[in-house]
Amino acid sequence: MIILETKGLYHAFKGLEVLFDVNFQVEEGERHALIGPNGAGKTTLFNVITGHYHATGGQVFFKGKEVTRFTPHELTRMGMGRSFQITSTFGRMTAFQNIRQAVLSKNKIRFQMFRKLDKMQAITRETEEMLKRINLIEQRNIPAGMLSYGKNRALEISMALATDPDLVMLDEPTAGMSRDETRTAVELIRHLTEGKTVVIIEHDMDVIFSLADRITVLHYGRILATGTPSEIRDNPAVKEAYLGEMEY
Amino acid sequence: MRTKLTRWLFWGALTALLLLLPFLLNFYYLNMFIAFAVYSLYAVTLNILLGYMGVLSFGHAMFFGTGAYTVALVLRHIEGFPLIPTILAGGLAAGLLALILCPLLVRVSGTAFAMLTLAFSMVIFVAALKFREVTGGEDGINIAAVPPLKIPGLVSIDMTDKIHFYYFAIAVVALCLYLLWFYTKTPFGSHITAIRDNALRMDYLGFNLAQTRAINLLVSGTFAGIAGAVHALLMKLVSTVGVLDINTSFKPLMMAYIGGIGNFFGPLVGSAVLHILEDVVIRFTDRIGLINGAIFILVVLFAPQGLIGIFQNLKAKRSAKERS
Amino acid sequence: MSPTTVLYVAQALHGLAYGMLLFLIASGLTLIFGMMGILNLAHASFAMLAAYFCYSVMKVTGNFWAALVFAPLIAGIVGVLTERFLLRPVHKHGHLAELLITVGIMMVILEVVKLFWGTESLVVKVPASLSGLVQVAGLTYPVYRLFVIGLSLLILGFMALILFKTRLGKIVRAAVSDAEMVSALGINTPLVFMLVFGIGIWLAGVAGAVAGPLLTVFPGMADQLGMDAFVVVVVGGFGSLLGAFIIALFLGELNAYGIQFIPRLAPILMFAFMALVLAFKPMGLFGERE
Repeated sequence: MIILETKGLYHAFKGLEVLFDVNFQVEEGERHALIGPNGAGKTTLFNVITGHYHATGGQVFFKGKEVTRFTPHELTRMGMGRSFQITSTFGRMTAFQNIRQAVLSKNKIRFQMFRKLDKMQAITRETEEMLKRINLIEQRNIPAGMLSYGKNRALEISMALATDPDLVMLDEPTAGMSRDETRTAVELIRHLTEGKTVVIIEHDMDVIFSLADRITVLHYGRILATGTPSEIRDNPAVKEAYLGEMEY
Repeated sequence: MRTKLTRWLFWGALTALLLLLPFLLNFYYLNMFIAFAVYSLYAVTLNILLGYMGVLSFGHAMFFGTGAYTVALVLRHIEGFPLIPTILAGGLAAGLLALILCPLLVRVSGTAFAMLTLAFSMVIFVAALKFREVTGGEDGINIAAVPPLKIPGLVSIDMTDKIHFYYFAIAVVALCLYLLWFYTKTPFGSHITAIRDNALRMDYLGFNLAQTRAINLLVSGTFAGIAGAVHALLMKLVSTVGVLDINTSFKPLMMAYIGGIGNFFGPLVGSAVLHILEDVVIRFTDRIGLINGAIFILVVLFAPQGLIGIFQNLKAKRSAKERS
Repeated sequence: MSPTTVLYVAQALHGLAYGMLLFLIASGLTLIFGMMGILNLAHASFAMLAAYFCYSVMKVTGNFWAALVFAPLIAGIVGVLTERFLLRPVHKHGHLAELLITVGIMMVILEVVKLFWGTESLVVKVPASLSGLVQVAGLTYPVYRLFVIGLSLLILGFMALILFKTRLGKIVRAAVSDAEMVSALGINTPLVFMLVFGIGIWLAGVAGAVAGPLLTVFPGMADQLGMDAFVVVVVGGFGSLLGAFIIALFLGELNAYGIQFIPRLAPILMFAFMALVLAFKPMGLFGERE
């Protein structure tokens, strides 16, 4: 089943055109990488799909339903999760409180005003479990803004996953990470996204080839090619577009 | 760290002090204490928006004033309206105002929010001035007497007695402060601070930002209205200057900032400081506005985290020294 | 002309004069906000300060023209000092702190004015050379108001010249657009900030000094002028001089006609208009900055 699809997506900012006729399809359960040179429009595509921008033209379908005009929170409630290229956690709140916000949303606790938060033991337990899974339990009381870059990135990724979405959109999750941190992150992603659909923007080819089932290449706002990693690797048009940009 | 015992002792001592206050102070200072309490509540409601949600309300007087005027109008036009419903009416009216303004206010933040609230409060101020048949304009409305506190079938407590009124007013303020404190400790309270920290992330976690902001606005406005209602009963006179003017919007702001917007009790500290200051300075000069303004500037320049913030910094430095 | 037409046209000219004053004040305000991100709530207070200085200089020298030159200048200097010692240190604490300190400054100026000049309205007499009436297109119109309009246009023309034809002007315009970039190019932005702030205050000072004979000089001047100037900046657009110009004139006319024909609703209309614009176009009708 196709869980995510865009039809004829077109997007422009005040005259600057960024996306042209993007027909993007993601199969349920697959890990789909979105690659392309800088400025190709990958993050814009994410922003349009997740409701941050209203597409100038075209349509977006999620789980078969048209969601073109949906807002981020509506899409999250439908089962989408997203991580950002630039870490977007709650800098002033501790790692524990960060995850707890996501856990609260997952449990649909959004307007509870009659119980003390700290006394809600089920929530606390679920938050602690999540922290253990992402190996942040020891840093639970450290404000997110004070975590090391790698740990904050891990927190960022887990924020996308803590609402238990069916479709996870990760925007350059390993950006700025060292070799070791990247390896850990990839394992974490693989582990946490069991049974889920993942769309991942990445530049690191090792990550892509170890994670992705299929790859879509975006170039100057248009889809250049879609296929398996080996098909993309051998595609001459892709090689030409990417000359000098890929890290082998 | 405070143990449960010390906490109980502290609150017990405080309660005892509040109960005994009428016998320790003369009426002038007793009334000043009530004023301090009312403004503390008012400043806390402003901080619910500022410190907790990160938006600056420049026109909070519109809620305070709506509560005050509602009380005055209800008592003038409805014979024998009971005390508690009168106060609730004040809160309700202010809440209604917040509800009406919500659709516009939740879409903006930062400077736009500050300017919008300023604009709205100015509209209401001018309207109250101009429509003097209703509001009495600059002269305002007198409240003949505070209605008695009636518990049907049981007892009727005369509220013209200053000591009775003191207990009632403090009880109302204490209850409201407790409710607001509890509110900040609930899951919803954490949503509010999370929105301040990173609204985008909250959106992406599945929270409806507009609805969440709206509810916070409603809570803030309603309780500000209740503060205004008690204020009206204390002052027995409600006029535009004193409940709706721009000074009435700036006072709680100063109090919250001076005390520390990062702490629930900051506004109380600020309210205490400003009230004591006013009482002291008034003996020497009329220029209380100048002193207030100068202190405000100094606080913004040198202590933006407020008095409580300074205290916490000192505590942190001392425990850091003890550890090393 | 029929009496009604005369009335309408007279009102239009009144509105024009007031609108020009508003633009003088609003232009400084919008430039300061556009460049420094500071919404200077004390801006009109400086205008009021200049009005009081004007009164004092006139009392001492008896010369209106001297007052007109020196009062705004003194106000401008106070403005520069304020920027250097009160605003710049708070910059690092964020926009909220900047906004709040301008509130404090506004309060202090109000109290200082009351302290030194009292709370009564002070009368500044229109100088003999500018008093009286003149015939303009079949209308009799006060010379002073024409003077106000003329002076404002002169100053604005001068400002436009500097802004658009000189290197300094280019730097200022660039800084209003993107202060960080300008700083990266090696230009001393703190100095530019101080300069623009000073000039913005000076413009407000001119408006205040000139407004004295029109509005009388009293402590509540800042409230009225300030609110109107804010509506102009907010509706016209933060950082947009053109927007400020159009809206200032519009507001001047709205005030003139409103006060004449719907005295109760006029101020409410104005705020309601601003609230609506803010809600749907938070950047103002012509503005571009956040």
